[in-house]
Amino acid sequence: MQITQIAGFLGCGKTTLLLVLSRQLAGSMRHKVALIVNEIGEIPVDGKIIEESGLRVKDIGGGCICCEVASSFAKTVYGLYKDFRPDHVLVEPTGVAVPHQVKLAAKMAGRDAKVSMGPAIVLFDATRPAELLDMEMLGRLVVTQLEDADVIALSKVDTIEKTAIEESVLRIRQVNDRAEIINLSSFTGLGVDQLLERILGWKDKS
Amino acid sequence: MNGPVDTEKGCYTEHGVSGYGVAVRVSRGEPMEDAFIKEFCESIMLSIARKCMELGARCIGHIKSHVRTEAGTVKSDTIGISHGAFSSGQIERPVKELYLAVNSIIQGIKEDAVRTATLDGIHEAADARCLIVEKEREHSYFDEFDFVASKQEFARKLEEQLKEDSTPETGE
Repeated sequence: MQITQIAGFLGCGKTTLLLVLSRQLAGSMRHKVALIVNEIGEIPVDGKIIEESGLRVKDIGGGCICCEVASSFAKTVYGLYKDFRPDHVLVEPTGVAVPHQVKLAAKMAGRDAKVSMGPAIVLFDATRPAELLDMEMLGRLVVTQLEDADVIALSKVDTIEKTAIEESVLRIRQVNDRAEIINLSSFTGLGVDQLLERILGWKDKS
Repeated sequence: MNGPVDTEKGCYTEHGVSGYGVAVRVSRGEPMEDAFIKEFCESIMLSIARKCMELGARCIGHIKSHVRTEAGTVKSDTIGISHGAFSSGQIERPVKELYLAVNSIIQGIKEDAVRTATLDGIHEAADARCLIVEKEREHSYFDEFDFVASKQEFARKLEEQLKEDSTPETGE
């Protein structure tokens, strides 16, 4: 059972990508897929949207899975392993979650379940690089998310000029020079196949 | 219904992010069509975003809504006024009643302000269209959000959580 997280700051397109990836994995590729969606409040919006897709989804509320309900996350992972045995678990943390903390929580579940870690895919909204990276206080969070990424998906590239894409890449490279950067548009499908290849071909180094 | 939880000590406030969510029932004597509902929701998204910025927000994290009716669902969202608001989904036939959930996560203003902007945004859009709004439940966000904790410290806290919790808090 491989656990792959689709992380990134608020509004970067995580839920849309999660649906696109899971439909392809579970559809034509015939993998057994489970989704874990973390929303902080008690009134879920993303969870409802994903439930409508007919996919198996566990919605964890009441806090962030990278910190205050991390143990619930670990137990949910173990529960999925025990009861459903999916090939892939795709995890959508909150927009303020820290990927390395989500990974640590998932590894805790791995003590009881046979799990491997997929890539930490971090989305970066290419339509607002300066707004995100220059935010007071939270700019540091966005940088941390990028630093933790194994693969960075530059999202919404269909809506911006090539020069704006290059500007985002330059800024990203200043904080992470090892992660592969993939141009992504969940609406046109650009980059989706590449991301699927990375998920399916990922070798857990932990 | 209980009021929102006091989150002044919460990490979201500490790091400049506050959130508020609310679920309401919206009704009108005359049936509402798909295009009307989408325009209503997008208007709410932009109205909340504008009000948050007027109240001093630095950035719209996201504002999202989900409408459920007996004839289908509609999802809408925005990440800021200049980015616009977008909807997807379909209401197959006109309906007189809908259930609307809205989540606003905003940087730079406190939770009370996000709550005010969210509720005012919903009511402003509803009043302009002669819709009746009844609040069903609401929630606030609170967390112990610490993205600068060391890995060792984080692992220690996780171990403590696992020891404390005996049952998973999950839903399906």
